[in-house]
Amino acid sequence: MTVKVEVIEGGIPHNKIMIAGIVSTLVCLYLTYLNVLTSTEMFSFFGGFAVIAALIWGSHTIKVLCSYGIGTGVPSAGMIAFGSGVIAMLLATKFGIMAPMVAAVLAAIIGFILGYVSNNILNMKIPAMVQSLTEMAIVGALSLMGFAALMTGKFTFDALTTGQVTVLGMALMTHQQSFIGGCLIAVAFLLGAIAIQHPFNACLGPGWQQDRMLMLTAECGFLSMIVAAVMSFALISTGSAIISLIIAIIGWAYTYKEYMVLSKRDAAAWLDAKPIPEVEGH
Amino acid sequence: MSAVAAKPAAGSAMNPTAMAVGVVMFLILMGICFFVYPVGIMPLLLIVVGGVLIGFGVHFVPVGGAPAAMGQAPGIATGVAMLAAGGGLAGLFGGAWAAAAGQDPLVVVITGGIGGGLMMAITCMMVNFVYVFGMGIPAASGKVANDPITGDSQAEYKSQGTEGHGLPFVSFVGGVIGGLFAGAGGTLIYLELLEVYKAALPTVMQITAAQALPIAVSAAGMFAVGMFLVNAVLTAYNITGTIEGPHDPKFKRWPRSVVASAVASALCGLVAILIVAI
Repeated sequence: MTVKVEVIEGGIPHNKIMIAGIVSTLVCLYLTYLNVLTSTEMFSFFGGFAVIAALIWGSHTIKVLCSYGIGTGVPSAGMIAFGSGVIAMLLATKFGIMAPMVAAVLAAIIGFILGYVSNNILNMKIPAMVQSLTEMAIVGALSLMGFAALMTGKFTFDALTTGQVTVLGMALMTHQQSFIGGCLIAVAFLLGAIAIQHPFNACLGPGWQQDRMLMLTAECGFLSMIVAAVMSFALISTGSAIISLIIAIIGWAYTYKEYMVLSKRDAAAWLDAKPIPEVEGH
Repeated sequence: MSAVAAKPAAGSAMNPTAMAVGVVMFLILMGICFFVYPVGIMPLLLIVVGGVLIGFGVHFVPVGGAPAAMGQAPGIATGVAMLAAGGGLAGLFGGAWAAAAGQDPLVVVITGGIGGGLMMAITCMMVNFVYVFGMGIPAASGKVANDPITGDSQAEYKSQGTEGHGLPFVSFVGGVIGGLFAGAGGTLIYLELLEVYKAALPTVMQITAAQALPIAVSAAGMFAVGMFLVNAVLTAYNITGTIEGPHDPKFKRWPRSVVASAVASALCGLVAILIVAI
């Protein structure tokens, strides 16, 4: 165990990121409810935005927690975030339109108890532990709900467990072709868990810069959104899935370009290496 | 409190007050389950047993972390979360396969344990293979003078400035035992949740049992994975990252982990059972 090795110098304070994160995630999740109001599935892509907003907040929380040198590696923080988040999220889907709120509250309770357990029973004694685990459980739950909304257009239990399959022009109800019944949730789980832990794991060190890490988070989020948008072809109408996919690809290309610019800015020196030239005549 | 003054130091000390609070929390959570959904009390108890098995089992696994990757500490060169996920999920798949084949619950749990143990045995074997033939280092423990099982002396093989390296025999055995416990625990959680969902989902959702099966399997599997990771990471916090195996002094911290896993599993299990209760 080591003492805190890094301090946040400059940049946006964590509380501001936290408040912005939770507000924008909840707003984006509720914007997917436009699907129900307008009887379309066009607004599913807001689920992807909710994922990215939650991930940006979550990766900064991981930075706050893992700066203390908890000794277990950064990925473990992403795993406990989604491990506790998935439990809260699945129960919260039972509450209909209240689901995102309930997910946040329930995840906060689970995260708080897990934080107490690790800080006091396991004697971690890290000042940021309780708050960080609480935040990360909320991030895990809301990101999974965002993935659910992105892939199915809705976030209620019935919608996540019921799908439609067309046989000879007839639409039949099925439970196998759904977010939970088809276990797409497992893919969403790992897409989110990897996207949340990677940015700090990749950017940590003496040259850590907040804007670079958060840009990488957005890039990882859009990358996950591309995969999730491809998977959404199975569950929502093709047009809506294409909208999500195009938005994800544009977002990914933009954030990737920005991240490269920031990386070059922070690098001591960089060489724009070209591929090995193919010299003829050998 | 400033970050530097806080001095986070997870020693081997127990915190009796927090342990008592943990036991009380555990009893409250079980009580909530008893009043809200009495049928779920036995499954919840077995889920807690599964969680405790995971938490206890992970202590046996030789987790080396980054120092092990550089050959400066014994163990498998990755973090607890990854190792536990690998061993435990392999067990979970094995157990789920046995459950789908309609086996007796005891057989299912043992199959899960064997799956996890087998995965860890293969991992330990290949890790030692890479250490010995790839990195050219012998297996030597830094924590004990003689291997507790074979009695081989360790000091002659230990390089100066390291805490030992490679995977001594006792760590190998510890890894397999840890895989057995963790795999069995993960499978037990999955099996209990599956039984609860298979029994309750058709009535809750008003569909036939065959229609409910994919939802039950998927939800139980997802909850089992979530609970598995929570328990594994809590244990990782308990051993602060690295441990050599059952002979490591850190192994004596297991009572803390048992209480922590019991509280965490009761909490997560309660939430998972509530999904069919409300």
